Amino acid sequence: MTNRIRSKIARGSAELAILALLAEESLYGFEIAKQIEDKTGGALRFNLASLYPMLYELEKRGWVKGRWETNRAGRDRRYYSLTPKGKRKLAPLRREWRFFFRALDRLAGVSHA
Amino acid sequence: MRNWNALVRERLGELGLKAVQQEEIIAELAGHLEDVFKALQAQGLFESDASARALEEVGDWGVLARMLHRAKREEGNMNQRTKSVWLPGVISLVVASPFLMILEKVGVRPHIWGPSGFGLAIPLPWLIAQPAFGALGAYLSLHAGGDRRARLVAGLFPSLVLFGAFCLVLVMSVFVDWSVLASIRFVGFAIYICFWVVLPGLALLLGALPFLKQQKAAVLAGN
Repeated sequence: MTNRIRSKIARGSAELAILALLAEESLYGFEIAKQIEDKTGGALRFNLASLYPMLYELEKRGWVKGRWETNRAGRDRRYYSLTPKGKRKLAPLRREWRFFFRALDRLAGVSHA
Repeated sequence: MRNWNALVRERLGELGLKAVQQEEIIAELAGHLEDVFKALQAQGLFESDASARALEEVGDWGVLARMLHRAKREEGNMNQRTKSVWLPGVISLVVASPFLMILEKVGVRPHIWGPSGFGLAIPLPWLIAQPAFGALGAYLSLHAGGDRRARLVAGLFPSLVLFGAFCLVLVMSVFVDWSVLASIRFVGFAIYICFWVVLPGLALLLGALPFLKQQKAAVLAGN
């Protein structure tokens, strides 16, 4: 697998992870990274350098929207929420990934590995 | 206590964005580093260790600055719609139109459709070639990451342009020549649309169909 393909897959899965999380609640960057790491048992991990460029990309596409709010600790943080456009995008994204994993499973039996 | 804002500002340098955007990014990244730092301290790390570990989140500041600039800057001239709809559509049209001219040049006789006096002449080889043009438009759109609607529009683009042109001619004809009865004008228009838009459109759709069914995930790895 070339680096280009790997990077495409990583990028796509990261987008899905962020959108799926934000579909449940509004979160700020640190919370997004922490929840993704916790919920995937550490399999997926975002650091600052990988998270924010992606969040800004998603915001530019109009899929998420950032808004400054004060968190529980009294600090100003930029909370991200899913826009109606992002909500519409999530379902087809889920379908595409399901399709992709099924195809991969048929080919390599990854779900039984 | 470390001043994370000052640290991020210094290390990130000038991003080449609007001042408001740059300040917002600095505040957001500083907040993130502060949260990581505090979480590490809560795990029992000393301040210096926690600070160093928090900074490992960034890695190369130069790379981060470039990524942030790319992510935040306004879309260039070629946005996603241009890449996935307009460009594939225009390419398909540009390939399809000269083909019709070439057929005329080489003397291909148009096929007469419908009863005599009421039919229209369409070069049959041109109609037969339409699925290839539809396939070309839809394929290029798929390759550019177009969703199903973008692929459909790109595939049908030559017919859509022709439809637009006929509509324009119809509107102009009303102003140019009042003497023709509206009913005759519209019947003529409907026939033209049927033979030069609907029929080729169906042929284009036939060619585009395989690329409409294809899921984007199938080309995910190949893109």
